[in-house]
Amino acid sequence: MMNTGYVRPRTLEDALAFLAENSGKTRIVAGGTDVMVDLRAGTLKTDYLLDVSRLQALRGIEIIGNDLSVGAAATLSEIYNSAILEAHAPALQKSAVNFASKQIRNVATIGGNVAHCSPCGDTLPALAIHEARAVLSSPAGERQVPIEAIASGPYMCALPQNEIITRFILKPATVAFADFQKIGRRKELAVARMSMAYMADKDAEGRICFFRFALGACTPTPQRNHRIEAMLTGQIPDAARIWEAGRVLAEDTIAVTGRRASAVYKESAIQGLFMRMVYPLV
Amino acid sequence: MDPKTVHIEFTLNGSPRSLEIPGAASALWVIRNLIGLKGAKEGCGIGECGACTIEVDGKAVNSCLMLAAQLDGADVLTVEGLASEDGLHPLQSSFLEHHGVQCGFCTPGLLMSTHALLKENPHPDHAQVSKAIAGNLCRCTGYRQIFASIEDAVKHNSGEAAQ
Repeated sequence: MMNTGYVRPRTLEDALAFLAENSGKTRIVAGGTDVMVDLRAGTLKTDYLLDVSRLQALRGIEIIGNDLSVGAAATLSEIYNSAILEAHAPALQKSAVNFASKQIRNVATIGGNVAHCSPCGDTLPALAIHEARAVLSSPAGERQVPIEAIASGPYMCALPQNEIITRFILKPATVAFADFQKIGRRKELAVARMSMAYMADKDAEGRICFFRFALGACTPTPQRNHRIEAMLTGQIPDAARIWEAGRVLAEDTIAVTGRRASAVYKESAIQGLFMRMVYPLV
Repeated sequence: MDPKTVHIEFTLNGSPRSLEIPGAASALWVIRNLIGLKGAKEGCGIGECGACTIEVDGKAVNSCLMLAAQLDGADVLTVEGLASEDGLHPLQSSFLEHHGVQCGFCTPGLLMSTHALLKENPHPDHAQVSKAIAGNLCRCTGYRQIFASIEDAVKHNSGEAAQ
């Protein structure tokens, strides 16, 4: 604790300049709810903590043209209370409902949830179905990367150390059906063993005309499942079809993870949770 | 400036504070060990038990998961700031009356989570109380007495419970 410094630049430019000078010995901190755990455990050793939580460039949730922009320093409480997200990214808003505890939601940020690269980050499946891109800033300028390219594996961030995630650009969607569901060891304040998000719409004939789905926590990095998206799109939903899509989802997941001891439970749980989440379509 | 030591200024329980702290110190460590207020507790140290809950700008936070440096400029309330010269805060009285305290380790955190809730929502229902204190573990009471304490305070709350 005594050997770590703390800096809180006033502007993004100052923060990027500091990071450029001290890259490799600086850890970015926003809410701190993951960083503090690692510091306390001794698994994080760093010369500097760079606090980006108050940077104006990382704040705000707004519609800009055809895009939905969510600041990287938006807290989970802000996401939970956002009328804009409720209207344009309802699954993301729902992912904040049972995120950790109130105390953690009040400070933890969406940028931290993504950058920590935990396979079970609750915001990730919802970001994936909105085809979110992270906007990364460095002294060289801005670039965007797809949300699914940020983690190269569990807790392994693929981003260079001189960049800061400033915001996320989502494709907004006004849909009739959207949800986020997870299974943890208890209802509140539990790490997700399994999480999933979807959004869908039906046309006048009752066919599914739009379907997006992503699974979290089960695979090394959260992913959309295009196979079941294609299976359900254009169909009139009934319980049997959804049950079958859930079976395919379970099969695809086990194909990634391998058939481990937990597969017996996971196959049934994935299929059951998918059924529970998507059944309102029927 | 040596960033290993950070100068912070904030309001603690209504009084201005100004101090030098180690850069990576947690808010909990500074409040307990530099300032000497021992109400907030370290239970788990990783944000699961809520015994360290304090209010920062009116919001409940785990002080073990917050950098003390992030208190700079904030309005901070700990359990020591609840009672006034006139006596205990109504929430504290209600916890006493309804046996919401057994060993007492979780009590400061539960009081602060509840206090923050009542600021947001002066008349929460059972589910809203349950959601607000889900991040506070009590291993003694089984929670029934805690709900009784909070719900009675809510029933009699004409605004003062959030003061």
